[in-house]
Amino acid sequence: MKLLTCPLNGPRNISEFTYGGEYHPMPDPNKTDPRQWAEHVFFHDNEAGIVTEWWCHSASSFWFLAERNTITDQVIRTFEASELFNQRVDFAAESGDNS
Amino acid sequence: MTHVNSSQPAMQNQRRSPLYRRHTELKAEFESLGDASLVSRYGELAAEIESAAQLGLADLSALPRIGFKGAGAPQWAISQGIKLPESPNHSVVQDDGALVGKLSHQELLILSDLAGSSALVNSLEPVQIESLKQSEPAAQTYHLPRAHSHSCLAVTGTAAAEMFSKVCGVDLRSHKFAQGQIAQTSLAKINAVIVRHDLAETPCFYVLSDISTVEFLWDCLLDAMQEYAGVPVGVAALRSLAARG
Amino acid sequence: MKNRLPAPYGQLIDREQQIDFSFEKKSYSGFAGDSIASALAANDQWLLSRSFKYHRPRGALTMAGQDANTLVQLPSNPNALADRETISQDLAVMAQNYSGSLNHDRGALLGLFSRFLPVGFYYKAFFKPRGIWEKWAPLIRKKAGLGVIDQQLEPEYYDKQYKFYDVVVVGAGPTGMQAALTAAVDGCEVLLVDENPSLGGSLNYARFDAEGTVASETKERLIATIKANKNISCMTNSLVNGWFGDNWLPIISGKRLYKVRAKQTILCTGALEQQAVFHNNDLPGVMMSSAAQRLMHLYAVRPGKASVIVTGNNDGYANALDLMDAGVEVKAIVDLRDQPPETSLTKAAKLRGIQIKLGYAVYAAKKKGNHLSAVEIRKISAHGLCEHQYQTIACDLLCMAIGYTPTYQLACQAGGQLSYDDQSSMFTLKNLPDGLQVAGSVNSYWELSNCLEEGARAARAATHALGFTQGDAEQPIPRENQSPNHSWPIFSHPKGKEFVDFDEDLTIADIINATSDGYEHIQLVKRYSTCGMGPSQGRHSALAAARLVAAATNRTVAETGVTTARPPFAPEHLGHSAGRSFYPARRSNMHYRHLEAGAEMLQAGAWYRPAFYGRSEERDQCINNEVNNVRNNVGLVDVSTLGGLEVRGPDAGEFLNRIYTFGFVKQPLGKARYALLTNEAGVVIDDGVACRFAEDHYYVTATTGGVDRVYQSMLKWNAQWRLDVDIANVTSAYCGVNIAGPKARQVLSKVCDAIDLSNEAFPYMAVRQAEVAGIQARLIRVGFVGELGYEVHVPQQYGEALWDALMAAGKEDNIQPFGIEAQRVLRLEKGHIIIGQDTDAMSNPTEVQMGWAVSRNKPFFVGGRTISELENKTINRSLVGFVVHDPKAPIPKESHLVLDGQQMSGRVTSCNYSPTLGKAIGLAYVEPSKAAPGSQISIKSTAGVLVSAEVVALPFYDPQAARQEL
Repeated sequence: MKLLTCPLNGPRNISEFTYGGEYHPMPDPNKTDPRQWAEHVFFHDNEAGIVTEWWCHSASSFWFLAERNTITDQVIRTFEASELFNQRVDFAAESGDNS
Repeated sequence: MTHVNSSQPAMQNQRRSPLYRRHTELKAEFESLGDASLVSRYGELAAEIESAAQLGLADLSALPRIGFKGAGAPQWAISQGIKLPESPNHSVVQDDGALVGKLSHQELLILSDLAGSSALVNSLEPVQIESLKQSEPAAQTYHLPRAHSHSCLAVTGTAAAEMFSKVCGVDLRSHKFAQGQIAQTSLAKINAVIVRHDLAETPCFYVLSDISTVEFLWDCLLDAMQEYAGVPVGVAALRSLAARG
Repeated sequence: MKNRLPAPYGQLIDREQQIDFSFEKKSYSGFAGDSIASALAANDQWLLSRSFKYHRPRGALTMAGQDANTLVQLPSNPNALADRETISQDLAVMAQNYSGSLNHDRGALLGLFSRFLPVGFYYKAFFKPRGIWEKWAPLIRKKAGLGVIDQQLEPEYYDKQYKFYDVVVVGAGPTGMQAALTAAVDGCEVLLVDENPSLGGSLNYARFDAEGTVASETKERLIATIKANKNISCMTNSLVNGWFGDNWLPIISGKRLYKVRAKQTILCTGALEQQAVFHNNDLPGVMMSSAAQRLMHLYAVRPGKASVIVTGNNDGYANALDLMDAGVEVKAIVDLRDQPPETSLTKAAKLRGIQIKLGYAVYAAKKKGNHLSAVEIRKISAHGLCEHQYQTIACDLLCMAIGYTPTYQLACQAGGQLSYDDQSSMFTLKNLPDGLQVAGSVNSYWELSNCLEEGARAARAATHALGFTQGDAEQPIPRENQSPNHSWPIFSHPKGKEFVDFDEDLTIADIINATSDGYEHIQLVKRYSTCGMGPSQGRHSALAAARLVAAATNRTVAETGVTTARPPFAPEHLGHSAGRSFYPARRSNMHYRHLEAGAEMLQAGAWYRPAFYGRSEERDQCINNEVNNVRNNVGLVDVSTLGGLEVRGPDAGEFLNRIYTFGFVKQPLGKARYALLTNEAGVVIDDGVACRFAEDHYYVTATTGGVDRVYQSMLKWNAQWRLDVDIANVTSAYCGVNIAGPKARQVLSKVCDAIDLSNEAFPYMAVRQAEVAGIQARLIRVGFVGELGYEVHVPQQYGEALWDALMAAGKEDNIQPFGIEAQRVLRLEKGHIIIGQDTDAMSNPTEVQMGWAVSRNKPFFVGGRTISELENKTINRSLVGFVVHDPKAPIPKESHLVLDGQQMSGRVTSCNYSPTLGKAIGLAYVEPSKAAPGSQISIKSTAGVLVSAEVVALPFYDPQAARQEL
């Protein structure tokens, strides 16, 4: 069984983690054309090489990111989500009254 | 907190550990703690102390415990005079015997002492969401009902770490898992928070897990303990071991 | 025990303890520590079993549990290895794979017809016509035999345990023992593990010098130092049965599977001696030279009276000296080499006057009864060929010492690549992952001194990597000049029967024919011929097969390669995988009240929930009664399993707005709102109600099965959005009931007088916090079952007290508990969908008529963009309600098809008899043209009966919703 190093809990058996999919910045949902939106939702890059993935340590519900080489299955590093997301995200109101 | 020994069925209290039927079947002697009951002992105390020193399992679910979470929680806790460990997954004993652990940079777990008399926990227990709301210095501090979301078991004795290796993939042996250390991990396939909090010289691990699974966990642990002659023990034995120091 | 040698032979046996057992119903005696095979050999019983295909007689080959010749039947254990399994008092052992008797097997006639069982037989004969295999299979399986499972067997207690070490050394031969000692520097925890009963490996049985003293001296020295070192733990009789990622090693020891995590692993797994390939090389009496040495030294069994040794290395000479010392006549050493280098061992053999035939091969073995009686030797004329003249030597033992393959399986499982140098006949292992070392004969070092140095080298590399020691990178030890591997110990015979694979009875011709049939790749040869697929997994056939395939296809062995080694290394009992598994169960605090009330429990996920209350045989009646009691009176259902999430903080409303489809920012305090969750693909994935207790505090419910996923996804979204909000999963912190029915208010008011329960003060979809029966509770007025109802949520440990209080309060009004079956009927009558039952992985809100729950006035919510795209397209199915009017029609079930003529046009998702309406009602996906009320649909029900149903408007019951707003 592989080990994965959680930034909060340290190295643990990978069975303690939930895979959260490839990290993939969301395009602006109000501006992107339908085709690009569909690509974002339904298509994954599935790259052979180093990818960034979401992982969650189940026992502590701690989400973090991992850089993993999909060819060798080596995890290059893991890091806290705040490294990529360090400010509040807001969505411009197109119309409406925030009901 | 009263120490009235009582053999009355635990169910006469409003608040009931999911394990009270198992305790009753084992002819436990209960003591009242608020509107709940705690197993004082199952049998003869001297023998039970020796069992606990070897390998014991105690249900401490009736003892007070509470959690706080949020970006402001550590700051707020310090303002309440709480001593915090430096890094997550560690715990610190407070002056009144309570144990305060950090589960993350923003999450605290507070466990009462074995008497259930910790002034800190008891002062926090009635704190409801309203009183924390927005008001400085409690901004971004949120209460977690740990006493109800999680059961609290204690595994005691020199064989404890070895027994855990049958149900848990984290190395809990003394030289690898220090006093005060916390592991959030999987125990018999359920999520658990394990805190090492020795009773003087006797190794002791608190196990907090989802309260709906505690009967399953209790049975799993007793099964795993059999090999080392582990048995259920009451809080009286734990208190005696703690006082040996 | 006529073949016993005197002490000190027999390290593993205790001559003080005689043990009686039986083989083939005949009684035998052995000593404690004897394997079944050694005890039988001591009694001159060499025949152990029959081969898989031709039922040829077979006996001990390796004496190390590495071959399939010794598979025997034990009462509770089929396919036990007779050379590994120890004897116990009164153990009844039977041979396997014969018809009639072991000595006179009628099935052995199959051997005569072997030309009708060509390579690829199964593949060719049963491929066409279709279905022919099913006819033949029972016969072939019976013939092929193997062991019999005792189906009355009481399962034994198997379990598992984790272990943690800095260094794990696999194999406790000289290399492994030295590696463990070198690694056990201060503070470094080392595990030394070996599948054999004692430490020592080859030092226990092999001979390294002419005098025969080095092995035992070295062994005693190493073992004494190991025993004195507190940093080393030893596990014997323990098999490392695989290598998994990051040095995760499953170790089987007794009835326990250890899951060992090593920071560094050192494989000192040694090498497996190989057989020579010649006519009748499978006869009992023909064995590896190491097997003969094991018999003598480990078990004090004389392996024969008169022996011949066929060899291509020094070890054959060492074996000859051992045999002589044990009083076995050595008739000849047949050395495949023309000019073997002179060593102290060859000199000693000459000195003792042993006949040595250089450049000769054993060309054929002859038998008498079921045992070897003589060998035919011939001078080698060319690669794999012999001259015509021959010489026959009578003997009852032939020892083969022609070379080894490294025990490479674990290293290859770790990603190592095995390569072979055709010139030097040496193997190497390359491409090993970090944290894994190989040392000793698995790494093609054979000299004892080199092996010890190798062990130390690998250990230092490991301790350097762990930081226990510092120093320069370890340099490899120079390669040895001489390989013990002869390059071509294979001699084809006009009559065949030169076995390459004993498990599957495959001969030289079978392997060559596989390549002729077009299967040239070694992996295809394996699958076509079954070579290497038997119980010994190619341990003795891989190299010979690779050599033959290489020669037949004009490639080198290196190019041909060997087949992939996968875990497990050896067969394991199912108990080792199945033992002590964990299936978590979750129980509500009211669990035992349900049992006491006679509930039939079912498990939904991990949760135990009451299905209904009453006897199984009265199930339908019980459910109907429970439904009627809620409709007409008052019922109580345990909803503790419902998910509960606290969403708190200044951005709580904004957060819910982004997560759920509805709007929540302007939700009034003290009110609940339906909350529908969609994913980015616009698919409905969960639902619940959001209760607003304060400006910055919502309590959101989620489905029992969905809450953990919902919670995780909320945390993941906010890890990106970074809103000022806290999300906590408090599912288990609260126990809850739904008290529902026209009398719900009057019952509840008896235990809750702190707040005004009137419809005006506490209307439908309002929430309150108040004491119920003295317990602080959250009350939510909901209408899931379509009646006046309150969900009452209390802290978990008060669940049972709450249940008792409400049951007592409702006694006069005849309150009755109801289970989730009744709840399903009630909600169906009300037209409420259950996510996951009435929705699937494609359901969007429009299809399931939930468009009303989607806000169009928000800048963003998770499924928003996709839903708005979908709303521009025509939908291709609709979830509708239907009624079956014909009371005699079978009630459709979930997943029954909705048909349009012969075409499938939809499916039923829920259907029940409605006691309230007196007919079957249900929900189904239909094509949009059939979605209008009044449309007729046709459902293919049980046994293919077509049932007519009418599409009706939802809900079925109380369309004005007057009942829930009483």
